[in-house]
Amino acid sequence: MPPENATTHKRAIAYTEFDLPNGLHVILHEDHGTPIVAVSVMYHVGSKNETPDRRGFAHFFEHLLFEGSQNIQRGEFSKLVERAGGVLNANTSGDRTYYYEVLPSNQLELGLWLESERMLHAKVDQVGIDTQREVVKEERMQRYENQPYGTVTLEVFKRAFKQHPYQWPAIGFMEDLNTATEADYQAFYKKFYVPNNATLVVAGDIDPAKTRTLVERYFGEIARGAPVVQPSIVEPPLGGEVRDIIYDRIQLPAVVMGYRIPANGTPDFYAVELLNRLLTGGNSARMNVALRDQQELAVYVGAFNFPFEHPGIAMIFAVANAGVEAGALEAAMQLEIDALQTVPISTEELAKLKIQLETELIGENSRVAGIASSLATAHVLLGDTDLVNTEIDRYLELSAEDLQRAARTYFVPQNRVLLHYLPRPKNQP
Amino acid sequence: MNHSNRPFYAQAIAASLVAGLLVPSSMNAQLDRSRPPAPGPAPVVQLAEHSLTELPNGMRLIVVEDHKLPMVSVQVRFDVPPIVQGDKTGFVDMMGELLTTGTPTRTKALIDERIDALGASLYAGNEGVYASVLKKNLDPLLDILADVVRNPSFPEEELEKAKLRARSAVQQRQEDPDSIAEAVGRVVTFGSHHPYGEVATERSINSITRSSVWAYHRYFFRPENAYLVFVGDVSEKEAKDLAKQYFGKWKPDHSLVSTDEYGRTEVEGMGVLSKLEKASVPHAERRVFVVDRPGAAQSVIRISFPLNLHPKDIRSMQAQVMNTLLGGGVFNARLMQNLREKRGFTYGCYSSLEVDRFNSSFVVTTSVRTAVTDSAVNEILNEMARMRYEPVTAEELELAKQFMMGSFGRSLEDPRTVARFVLNTHLNELPAEHYRTYLTRLEAITAQQVMDAANAFLYPDQANILVVGDLERMEDERSLLSNLSDRGIIQLDENGAPWKEVLSPVMDRTAEQVLDAYVKAVGGTEKLAALRHLYIERTAVRGVDTLVTKEWYAPDQLRTKLTMNGAVEEEVIHDGNRVFFANTEVSGELTDAGYDDVALRTPPVPEAKYAKVLERMTLLGSTEIAGRPAYKVQFQTVSGLGFAQYFDAETGLKLRRTDELLYNGRKYDQVISYADWKPLGGVLFPHEIRERGGLAGKVVRHITYTEVNKAMPVTHFEVNIPEVPDLPVPPEMLPPPENLVPSDE
Repeated sequence: MPPENATTHKRAIAYTEFDLPNGLHVILHEDHGTPIVAVSVMYHVGSKNETPDRRGFAHFFEHLLFEGSQNIQRGEFSKLVERAGGVLNANTSGDRTYYYEVLPSNQLELGLWLESERMLHAKVDQVGIDTQREVVKEERMQRYENQPYGTVTLEVFKRAFKQHPYQWPAIGFMEDLNTATEADYQAFYKKFYVPNNATLVVAGDIDPAKTRTLVERYFGEIARGAPVVQPSIVEPPLGGEVRDIIYDRIQLPAVVMGYRIPANGTPDFYAVELLNRLLTGGNSARMNVALRDQQELAVYVGAFNFPFEHPGIAMIFAVANAGVEAGALEAAMQLEIDALQTVPISTEELAKLKIQLETELIGENSRVAGIASSLATAHVLLGDTDLVNTEIDRYLELSAEDLQRAARTYFVPQNRVLLHYLPRPKNQP
Repeated sequence: MNHSNRPFYAQAIAASLVAGLLVPSSMNAQLDRSRPPAPGPAPVVQLAEHSLTELPNGMRLIVVEDHKLPMVSVQVRFDVPPIVQGDKTGFVDMMGELLTTGTPTRTKALIDERIDALGASLYAGNEGVYASVLKKNLDPLLDILADVVRNPSFPEEELEKAKLRARSAVQQRQEDPDSIAEAVGRVVTFGSHHPYGEVATERSINSITRSSVWAYHRYFFRPENAYLVFVGDVSEKEAKDLAKQYFGKWKPDHSLVSTDEYGRTEVEGMGVLSKLEKASVPHAERRVFVVDRPGAAQSVIRISFPLNLHPKDIRSMQAQVMNTLLGGGVFNARLMQNLREKRGFTYGCYSSLEVDRFNSSFVVTTSVRTAVTDSAVNEILNEMARMRYEPVTAEELELAKQFMMGSFGRSLEDPRTVARFVLNTHLNELPAEHYRTYLTRLEAITAQQVMDAANAFLYPDQANILVVGDLERMEDERSLLSNLSDRGIIQLDENGAPWKEVLSPVMDRTAEQVLDAYVKAVGGTEKLAALRHLYIERTAVRGVDTLVTKEWYAPDQLRTKLTMNGAVEEEVIHDGNRVFFANTEVSGELTDAGYDDVALRTPPVPEAKYAKVLERMTLLGSTEIAGRPAYKVQFQTVSGLGFAQYFDAETGLKLRRTDELLYNGRKYDQVISYADWKPLGGVLFPHEIRERGGLAGKVVRHITYTEVNKAMPVTHFEVNIPEVPDLPVPPEMLPPPENLVPSDE
């Protein structure tokens, strides 16, 4: 029997969800295919909750919260998981921070204990703060600075947003992290790491009723915090194309187009996502055929949305073939974008996009770790857990006209940041 | 055995999964948060059933049914040995890429269009093809899949397109530090004539012909060489019917193969088949390689060696436990804990043991900030060595084993895992029960076996140490990367070939003009003439403090002194006519090349006089030094002393000097770099001097004290000449102070 205040949904992904009195939202998914269980918590805090002088704090926090709790010594957190045969990790975006363990199913209670300790009374010492600051510095260099084209997202977002915190990357800036104090840490923890700002997902080889009892036992005693107020900054329109040249340590030039688009979950977000697929999803996609096969201008081209809670970016990124100039590549890309606006997509093409999506969604939900993440994202960022099953309908109901209108609205020059990545001249060290 | 640490997965003996959760009896009592909760009873891990049958043409069919999702994956996998590709390196991968670019009945556009319209994905490579699709579209997918596997036509036009893409990919790789480390790492691990050590270059890609691609396909893609694997929402019967329909009539073609006069297999279009004769084993000595990336944000470190270890060797699993504990994926591995959690050197450091039926290898990779490069290398080598002589703790062993058991259990969530197990069992000639007994065999591994495996398969003293980073700045001043190998640092290019300087001809100026530009850049002849005296102290920290002082009086009197921890180690005096030298062991007058060397560097800006005193100077060409455009000028003195200097093509300033030194039969390529130019008495001098590759190894000196245009004390340059040594010895031929000699370890 499901608990009284729970709603049970019988869809492709069956789940139960309920709130604890302290505001913690809980989602349970039962699947006995493999004797494993994913335990995850999504906190509704990301880089957009940061102040301009503490950029990177949410992500830095993610590192710190592996340091231990009142009952878990420094370094023990990961040991407990790995010695139980599990894996653990976390990640941070502009909108949320996500922690998870995947454990053998007989270690469910260990996972709940660990996550409740993290939520109840996490603890870090100065040694941990100092070490993780160095680690994050290396992470930043490895991911962005020591990679060709590694700064593409940083350069686009910095120019696309002037007021909204999306202008800075989740990894942040070392100068801000260097000045962060222990008091900042305490305040951030108290403000955002509260049950009423968190969603717990348990997915896998579980008995939902017993799991609920355990969840109540481990998380019930955690005190509700003050309501978390999400930022309400509305970024004004870009107001004209922003063009720039970035010199990087590369041989092949690249062209980057970053278009401002509506928030994840809105009809037009899905429409733009379909446009992206139309351009670069699969070998028969328009830009792949035109730029790679026919004109041989590009060695790679990709288009994708950043699925942000507030209006974000759709990015089209192309790397030129050897001997091809950025200008020629850009012109050919522009022709494909123009075509989206002038000629409606054919029925066959639309059908192709939809079956690709259908297949992909099924693949995404083939593992309990992926299902846990999808459930948490649907609830926290889209406000409707059932979208794990119904989001496909949002795509399927889009028409050729919807796509054409979206292309005319968003894929226009005055709404974009356009960067040329060029090989660094020899005289620029 | 400690019962709280019992394996959480019991071996698969029961037919049903234990899904029940142990509810602690203390359920209603006060929650004890101080300790981790006890686990419930271990669930049973079950390997899914599979079927393995053979078609009349020799093709083997593997089916793993899993009806949870309406998806099916199909793989055609050929048993392909690695071959030496030589001057056509890249053609094997290109064959794979070209499989989907045309058949007699389908163009590339048609294939792409059809695959996408089915919502399918299809990947082709030199070992076969992998595809996945919704169950409802399985039949049409197989129609295309069989066509590209059996009948690729390798259109000439598509080959040319693929070559351009491949050349672009080479250019991309050459600028990506991780890709450089991967490619060059394979070269230094296996050697450049080993199938695993060959790296495609623009040149080798241009040499690829359609006939070799065609021949590779015809020779290796044969039914009796193939496994057809179905996994997912398909019944065994359906799979068999599809296999018969699409591959049943496929006959092998042996017409291309012949044997040459030496008994070697020759394939028409591809030539003599050069398979791997013998697995590479660790090199006799440790070597240090650097691919220089001036200005790089980080050093990418890759430490590796090849191993002769077959997957069916029972020590493979012991070695894998050892590797897990050292750096193989767990966060609590020694390398991760040491380099990341203890020292904050890196975001991550991992080791991997690639157990491969043709040639195994061991690799450690990490990215660290440039300044700690050699400290990181030393820590990695230390951790490798420690595995060999120090038994692992029970706690570490337990963690590694439990983690591996957990990974095994999690991997079974993907139904393709069982198919992979079946394939591995056949390709690697494993015992039939290999995977069924995996957990119990793993559980039984002891600390002693782990140490034995470390001794058998870890070679810190014979490792290839590769660093992709800023050569100039990667060495810590206390521990020297170059000391890790008797051969010093071997510099390679982005493709793993020995590094060669690339010089472009310069037509628009002479060596004299480059020198003039330099003199002008530091202040010009007038400012130089106003300089009558200069005293400079340069300090370096190298475990002990060293101080170099240089005192000059116009026109050419000079005293230089090297002091270590306050004690004078070396002194050179030029009284205007003769040069005297003294160190802790020898002293005397220097003549010939020794005199030339000192006389040449006596003036504060020696280059101002080069035109008068040198035998020859030649502008060799232009190049790039630390990201700056530079002219390279070669100088030669009357006595035969030769050296080169590099000047910034834009600022005119001196960037670098290189000398070839010989000592004890070993050649040293000494590089001195100049930076941080600031004025002294109106003339610019480098306030930072970096020296590397010489007898003293890495030294960085900064100006810490100066005096300008003071009067000379009386008798300052009167020298009591000690006895004259038998032979005049130039300073670079003299033994260096003992603590500067590279150690032999």
